[in-house]
Amino acid sequence: MAKTMIRRIWQTIGAVKTGVILLIITVIISAAGTLILQRPATDPDDLQRAYSPQMLRFLDGVGLTDVFHAWWFLLLLSLVSLSIVAASIQRFPNAWRFYSRPYKSPDESFRKALPLHAQISILNEETALAAAERVFQKTGLKPERIVRENSFSVFGERHRISEMAVYIVHASLLLIFVGGIVDGVYGWRGFLSLTRGQQSSQIQQNAVTRTLPFAVRCDGAGQENYADGTPKRWWSKLVVVENGREVQRKEIVVNDPLVYRGIRFYQASYGHTGKVDKLVLTATSAKGPAKDISIGLNETVALDDDTTVRLAEFIPDYVVQDGQIYARSNDLENPAAHLIVESKKTGKAANVWLPPIPGFEQNSASPYQFEGKDVQMGYYTGLEVSHEPGQWAVWGGVLLMGLGLAFVFYIVHARVWAVPVENASGQLTLWIGGAANRNKDAFEQNFQKLVRGIEAEINAVSAITAVEHVIPLSAK
Amino acid sequence: MSRARVVEQKPAATGTTLLVAVGLGIAFLLFMAFLNVVKSGNLLSESNLLYAALIFYAGAGTLYLGFGVTGTPSYIRFASLATWAGLVANTGAVAHRWYEAGHPPFASIYEMLLSFVWTLAALTLIAEKKYGVKVIGTVTMPVAIVGVVLMQLLRTEVHPLVPALQSTWLHVHVTLAMLAYAACALSFALAMMFLIQDKVKTEAFLAATSLFCVGTYCGVLTRFEKWGGLNVIAWNPQEKSEIFISKGVRLFVTIPDLGWLMVIVLAGVAAPFVLYLIGRKTQSESTLDMANRAVFVSILLQIMALAFFLLRARDGQYASLDAEGLYPTSLAASPFILSGLVGGIFASLLYLLLLWRRTDLERMLPSAEELDRITYRTIAIAFPLLTLMIAAGAYWANRTWGSYWSWDPKETWAAITWLVYAGYLHMRITRGWRGRRAAYFAILGFAVVMFTFFGVTYLLPGLHAYA
Repeated sequence: MAKTMIRRIWQTIGAVKTGVILLIITVIISAAGTLILQRPATDPDDLQRAYSPQMLRFLDGVGLTDVFHAWWFLLLLSLVSLSIVAASIQRFPNAWRFYSRPYKSPDESFRKALPLHAQISILNEETALAAAERVFQKTGLKPERIVRENSFSVFGERHRISEMAVYIVHASLLLIFVGGIVDGVYGWRGFLSLTRGQQSSQIQQNAVTRTLPFAVRCDGAGQENYADGTPKRWWSKLVVVENGREVQRKEIVVNDPLVYRGIRFYQASYGHTGKVDKLVLTATSAKGPAKDISIGLNETVALDDDTTVRLAEFIPDYVVQDGQIYARSNDLENPAAHLIVESKKTGKAANVWLPPIPGFEQNSASPYQFEGKDVQMGYYTGLEVSHEPGQWAVWGGVLLMGLGLAFVFYIVHARVWAVPVENASGQLTLWIGGAANRNKDAFEQNFQKLVRGIEAEINAVSAITAVEHVIPLSAK
Repeated sequence: MSRARVVEQKPAATGTTLLVAVGLGIAFLLFMAFLNVVKSGNLLSESNLLYAALIFYAGAGTLYLGFGVTGTPSYIRFASLATWAGLVANTGAVAHRWYEAGHPPFASIYEMLLSFVWTLAALTLIAEKKYGVKVIGTVTMPVAIVGVVLMQLLRTEVHPLVPALQSTWLHVHVTLAMLAYAACALSFALAMMFLIQDKVKTEAFLAATSLFCVGTYCGVLTRFEKWGGLNVIAWNPQEKSEIFISKGVRLFVTIPDLGWLMVIVLAGVAAPFVLYLIGRKTQSESTLDMANRAVFVSILLQIMALAFFLLRARDGQYASLDAEGLYPTSLAASPFILSGLVGGIFASLLYLLLLWRRTDLERMLPSAEELDRITYRTIAIAFPLLTLMIAAGAYWANRTWGSYWSWDPKETWAAITWLVYAGYLHMRITRGWRGRRAAYFAILGFAVVMFTFFGVTYLLPGLHAYA
């Protein structure tokens, strides 16, 4: 009982009807997933704006706001895969028999049932079969003489592999699915943001942080523009550091990631941090010549034996309001630098503001006067990090599918038979039959050509033999 | 029906008149273009080549239409000659663009149209010479003409590529997409012709045409704004680009009153379908006759809609709901609405051709079996191309964003297209679906392709913002 039950379920899963129904459901749900805003891709605010709270609660409850990651969608895809597997397994033995043991010697019932056949009246079995053999050979159908106890015939065929093509395509589809499932289970995506010189092994994922067994350092990043100011290229110089050793170096750009241990780092974004990287100043004093100094945030630089300067603050876009200094934005629009000039001997410190901001500056108290020469803002590079262990199955599947589809559509298994038989009126004829697994219309035309070819060949041969017979007679 | 008889009673044109007229037209336009070239001194520029292509395609289109209407065989010869000439000019334009930009011309809508028109013309010649589907130019050439005219409206200067688009895989992806979609379009046209040869009633085509127009106008009306306006994307004429509020979010301006007009036209294009339904239900010939007349009305209304749209969206400053002040718009900002409106008129005109000239068409088209076979063959070409297109896109996405499949709407719809055609192939190969059922399936497939190509970009948001 249980056994028949299982068998019946198995048969149902493998039925074409089941497959088609599953595919239709998949299509409908996927389409719904593109029409309804999806959680991972949409801002939560946008979702709230688009749907009423009840509607949103309902959609969330059913999982329609994240269709492609819902468990039932995965289940559906698994069912589709199962259906393909079942259908392939159920049909494979038959196809394999067909493939491994081709039907070479057609009996009478087969000859009657075959839709595509022709009969030519002949005089001699042997010459007719030889002619058929030659014509088969010429058209690329490898001929084979089949001798049985009470019959002999010629069988020709081409591209038998075509019978297996559908299985290649199905296998490739499964390979792609397997890759996708592996990635769904073991794959992950995250984000890593690095400034110049920074090193990190902490990958930000949606809610959690993942620590890699190695670290990545950014040795520089930049943007190149076209003449019209639109970005042309973003690049980052990355170094992989493992156990304190540099193991890999690469300058990545968009479309060309760094790969280490199956983990890929993509150039995703680029921008300024709003913090200063280096400020170049000219310092002049009454005592000596002017000199250029380069200073970073919170760095202290000695100006002479006694005096030091420290960059305490840098505001890229400052504004003064109600006696306070505020940063308006992170863009380098209206910069201000706060320097502290200190004397070791006296212990006196002066707050120098560039440009001088009344109420804050004590510029005149400083022994040095400063002038800004150049400012380099700090940049960060945003790296998309992903790990997709199943992708090789996917690419392998894609290649296999290309191959399989080429076989399915462009390689036809053609079979032809030629058997000498007596027709109803007792006349000796050559029965020629043909079958193709695909593209039957084109094959039919080729078959008619083949039959005409055999006819012509037989006629030519009998003409020659006729001439051979005639000549001696006339000579006499 | 009475109308059809009137047309048939006209004496058949001898053929010379139209040939001479088209020949003179081409000669005149070329002469004018030559004068222009002499003035500017630049013979082989892209716009000149494109203009030459337009002239030849227009000539070919006229002759193909003439052939479609009168069946004079000499038209076809000259029509394919003109198509050849247009294709040569078009090839020159593509090559020029490629050389100048340094990348294959697939980066913008303009460049894709350039390649699409080229593919279409090439496929027309192949279908005509190899498969003997002579009347196909009647359908494809007007599409090519519309394509070239659209290109004139869109930006023409070489636009630098944003970093994400600088990839060979992208070019592979888009080339394959263009080829696959062109093959799908061809299979659709062939399936339609099959239905004509398979003696599907003319009224059924009436219903289909009307439904197509209804779909188009419903699509346009998704941009309906309160108080009867129609939203279109704002356009920056200096930079020749759409205006964005923030990354990926376009600024819409509202053209007042155009929304109401579109609603009226929607009612107008729906009328033939409603009348058809009533006529079928009541079995009344006169209602069906009325439905045919309603097609004329709907064509007039559609032309009116197009005219108003052209007048109002071409220039002018309009207010926006999302930002203060007035913003300009341009036809180039609304390629989808424009092609929808033109497509509706075109489909209705094709229906009229069928209504008046059905017997001639049937005589000229290959047999139903032949068409059925060629439809399958084109899909057998389209399907592997679709597969490789999706694969190349996935590979590119993987190199750019680090994931080969992210269920973005365009991807999902590409997969749906693939599944539909896979369904067609399974039904045909394992279930032996032939003839009408297969033809309907092929038409469904193309409808999904059109939705993927136009609908998704126009209606659904996603990563494919570039195309």
